[in-house]
Amino acid sequence: MFRKSQFWRRAAALAACVTLLSIVACSGGSSGGQSSSATSGNITWWGWTPDAVNAASLIAEFNKKYPDIHVTFVSKPIDTYDSVLGPAITSSQGPDVFNVAPGSANGGVETFHEGAIDLGPAVEAAVGSDWKTKLAAAGVAGLVVGDKVVGVSAGAVYSGSLWINKDIFDKHGLKAPTTLAEWKSVSAKLAAAGQGGFVQGAGQWAFDMDTFEAIMQNVEPGLYVAASLGKAKYSAPQFVKGMEIWKSLFDDKIMQAGAVGLQQYPDANNAFMSGQYAMVMMGSWYTQYTVKDTMVTAMKAAGVSNPTPFTMIPIQFPDVAGTGKVGKMFGDADYGLAVSGKSSHQAAATTFALWLATSPAGQQAVANTLNDIPSLKGVQPQWDNIKLVNPAAQLKTLQDYTDTASSADQPRFATVSADLNTAFRDALIGVATGKVSIKDALANLRKVADASRK
Amino acid sequence: MSTDATASTAGRRQRPRSTQNQGTRHRRVAFGAGLPWIIPAVVLVVGMIYFSIADTIHVSTLDWNGFILSPSRFVGWDNYSRMFQDPVFWLAIWHTGVFFVTTFVVQTLIGFTFAALMHSKVVLAPLYKVIIFIPTVLAPATMAPVFRHIFDAKGDFNAILSAVGLDWLAQPWLAGDVTAMLVVMVATVWQWTGLTFILYYAAMSQIETEILEAARIDGSSNFRTLLAIVWPLCRPTTVALATLGIIGALKTFDVPYLVTKAGPNHATEFLGTYIYQTMVQQKHFGYAAAISIALLILAIVGGVVMRRPRREKEGS
Repeated sequence: MFRKSQFWRRAAALAACVTLLSIVACSGGSSGGQSSSATSGNITWWGWTPDAVNAASLIAEFNKKYPDIHVTFVSKPIDTYDSVLGPAITSSQGPDVFNVAPGSANGGVETFHEGAIDLGPAVEAAVGSDWKTKLAAAGVAGLVVGDKVVGVSAGAVYSGSLWINKDIFDKHGLKAPTTLAEWKSVSAKLAAAGQGGFVQGAGQWAFDMDTFEAIMQNVEPGLYVAASLGKAKYSAPQFVKGMEIWKSLFDDKIMQAGAVGLQQYPDANNAFMSGQYAMVMMGSWYTQYTVKDTMVTAMKAAGVSNPTPFTMIPIQFPDVAGTGKVGKMFGDADYGLAVSGKSSHQAAATTFALWLATSPAGQQAVANTLNDIPSLKGVQPQWDNIKLVNPAAQLKTLQDYTDTASSADQPRFATVSADLNTAFRDALIGVATGKVSIKDALANLRKVADASRK
Repeated sequence: MSTDATASTAGRRQRPRSTQNQGTRHRRVAFGAGLPWIIPAVVLVVGMIYFSIADTIHVSTLDWNGFILSPSRFVGWDNYSRMFQDPVFWLAIWHTGVFFVTTFVVQTLIGFTFAALMHSKVVLAPLYKVIIFIPTVLAPATMAPVFRHIFDAKGDFNAILSAVGLDWLAQPWLAGDVTAMLVVMVATVWQWTGLTFILYYAAMSQIETEILEAARIDGSSNFRTLLAIVWPLCRPTTVALATLGIIGALKTFDVPYLVTKAGPNHATEFLGTYIYQTMVQQKHFGYAAAISIALLILAIVGGVVMRRPRREKEGS
């Protein structure tokens, strides 16, 4: 009898302890650290980008000004970012600073704004009340939810152009295509020579959306974004025209055979980097591969042994609709920096986020990685310190490209809801393969866009 | 199941202890003397499995993006009614059915044949067994890039077809609806046939040699013996493999996600990949939970249906 009651007492005590510990663990650090130092502390930064090397260089630059703030960067794969970030920023054990993305993408501010503090007052204090005019448009609106500044953009990425392997074009005596007919002709000539022309991993529909937005920017600038905001209809004839051009890329064999079965990363990227193809639809993030050492690394990663770097340059998206409206790029913040509401080092975390995203020194460091176009207007990469593969052929083009990109005012994904994003997949791949008619594809886009706004 | 047996055993154990009062004995009979010992397991099972299922059912009635700080909205059965009207959901179920039937038949055919061959006097049989079984222990993530490379438009398979004069068959295998599904099936059969083989091999080892000798004395050929004696005696293994197969088909995720990304045009969409898409990419946790519950029910029904013929046979 005694033994039995003792057992149950012990069991009850154990259960009480477990419950108590759970409560303590769950409630631990429930309040953020408002009183922490702005110039010292250990903070952790989670993100899917930049890569470890670039993150280390950014932190090293930061520590030149703030040596007492120790930043640890933890790289998280983008595919699983949301899964790990959600639980992490609901506890004080998670990151102090974390990457956020515009809209509903992975790490999207629409999902995680509840876990971040409002950086609005801090940005205003650091940059001034007119801070929105000092930063690139692509990095502002997409990271704000309501009136809350969830994140500050460290840099933006832009799309709407093609990248070509100039060495292949020179070898075959070809010029970069400027129209749909030329694009088709160049692709045919390269194919006849046993050389791949244009490559796209059309199974990874985010890049299909890039190509389609580039087409629509050529058909009628601004209409693509207007439709995603409900200010235009997907049933408009311009969208029909855009879809016809999109389909013709497949029918006219500009896209490589089996494009919808491939992913942009790694398939198309590796195919371009290994010289199998001469053209690819990539954005401003590809600028980093114009640097000799970075390109060699990328080529090795693509499976090239003993690689010889090639001359890679961006070109305007061809005038596929014949409107003459070319050169319009579009982009979003690549990543914004948000400060966790549960962080016990919010002041130091805010210092780091604002330094990287809004200070000239931080933005210069971002610019020099060539991975992102700086958010702060007027900051350019220090080209003199950057070793390009072929400066004579690349430098001027890259400078113009950077200027064009940073002046873009059209978003890439920021206005596209998750449902609309998926609907674009079904529409673009469906039309490309002939499984869905253009009319049905556009009707479904309209239906989903209307439903998303309800 | 064994409550009566446990109770009577407990009662027998208590009889010599005449000092215990009647109430204690009744309690012990009711809960069983071993209850304290199984509490950890009960807590683990109920806490980790059944609580999760109950929570998934709860989430399936919400409109929620999955982030714990984000507000959720109770929508009742809306996610289920949406599911029943969703063509992609039905497409995923259709794919699951086709996938199960095809891979089960092919794996059974190959696994059974290999097992029979390995029971004959084959030179280097242990080596062949290892070779057949190795794919089973390899992670799909390891093999996915290989299959993508093999079936790429410029891949090895097309190169082989061209080399043997069948270049008219060469095509971008991952880009076609039917061919992409075939690639997923090939990868699955390649990976899991080793398990089928091992189980059939073990089952055949249990068959008494006298039965086979009797068949031979009666003039049965090897093929006839295989079909009329060995195959029926391996029936429990076939049923077990079918049960595992149908549950595995319902849970299929890794191969289509890694090899074809469930595309093109949902051509290789399965319930697992669709749940992932709706949950992670579209942030519809409630809807994904509703599909998960449907998957759970289908798995239970599938398991029960596959077990029924065996039970009937055992009963008769």
